[in-house]
Amino acid sequence: MSASKKKTVELFYDVVSPYTWFAFEVLCRYQHRWNMNLHLKPVFLGGIMKGADNQPPAMVPNRGLYMRKELKLLAKYFQVPLIEPANTAEMMFVKGTLKTQRFITAVDMMDSTKTEELSRQMWHRNWSRDEDITEPESLKQAGKRAGLSDAQITRGLEDMQSSKVKDRLKQFTDEALNHGAFGSPTIIAHTSNSPVMLFGSDRFPILAQVLGEKWEGPIPGGCKL
Amino acid sequence: MNLRLKPVFLGGIMKGADNQPPAMVPNRGLYMRKELKLLAKYFQVPLIEPANTAEMMFVKGTLKTQRFITAVDMMDSTKTEELSRQMWHRNWSRDEDITEPESLKQAGKRAGLSNAQINQGLEDMQSSKVKDRLKQFTDEALNHWAFGSPTIIAHTSDSPVMLFGSDRFPILAQVLGEKWEGPIPGGCKL
Repeated sequence: MSASKKKTVELFYDVVSPYTWFAFEVLCRYQHRWNMNLHLKPVFLGGIMKGADNQPPAMVPNRGLYMRKELKLLAKYFQVPLIEPANTAEMMFVKGTLKTQRFITAVDMMDSTKTEELSRQMWHRNWSRDEDITEPESLKQAGKRAGLSDAQITRGLEDMQSSKVKDRLKQFTDEALNHGAFGSPTIIAHTSNSPVMLFGSDRFPILAQVLGEKWEGPIPGGCKL
Repeated sequence: MNLRLKPVFLGGIMKGADNQPPAMVPNRGLYMRKELKLLAKYFQVPLIEPANTAEMMFVKGTLKTQRFITAVDMMDSTKTEELSRQMWHRNWSRDEDITEPESLKQAGKRAGLSNAQINQGLEDMQSSKVKDRLKQFTDEALNHWAFGSPTIIAHTSDSPVMLFGSDRFPILAQVLGEKWEGPIPGGCKL
């Protein structure tokens, strides 16, 4: 009996977003358990917000206060070592993640086997150890931990300035918007019917339903990160 | 657990929190219309979008509905759950009105209210006692930092935990030290 065709699941993501880290780790845990191909597609969340005429949820004060509390509970539930940085607003809105997403894009275009771990290392920096993810030295450190060679790091730091890389980041951002995205994480499940868009880190039981798979919670098989 | 149903006015919460309905972001509104179908199946709730959601939500609104529910809750809280359910069956399943006295009466009947209770409810909903109670619960939610509906407050031995949305039940289970068995525990359909 032939194996049924693997279903493509695209994750449009920006490492600025804590909820996206949860979704990323869950999809990475399930990519070899479910009959799926996971495509990681770095986007620029600022571009999605602009294109969708949306604003960050923390702009509503009560919502911002709520999110800070909820993130602690979710980190425990997802078993992701998320710790809020000292100055979230500065990290998100002053520094931003345009350079970070460009570097990830450059590396993805060069060697996509490194994209998952590089993205993870970025989250470990800004959403666990309160470290910068915009300066060349920061990108280099993340690259090293992700197993990039010195040559790859140097090339990534160069390429991120190129129009090829900038255009690719914009292209994926526009692609997400064309799917109807308004934030990150945006998940597109390609089934035999039309693609299904899901938003957030709390739609995995629905994604399972759409893919005809079984949702076993955020830690399938009981394996801790 | 003890479940306490506390009817509020979402318009008041939105105003107090300086929030706006999510569908104000066009892509988000389009997404929600699709997602609601998937969620209805997941939760096994017979939710069907009305023909004119915007009219139901923003033109007619639910101030009268929430006042009627409040009036009944203050009179006989054993009826609150089923009355609320009947309201949702009207506006979010059968595309029926929930603001006119006849609509409130029909919902009340299906919820098992006596004629006397329905009449008292239709009267009381105009009273300051009922209007104040609706405002009081709305303010209470805002004091818990609510910004929308549903807002769930779990009272544990530590300080109360606020959770927002219909997608935080695994977290609620964690907070209460209970087991989340999915939306249909024990496999019983609605």
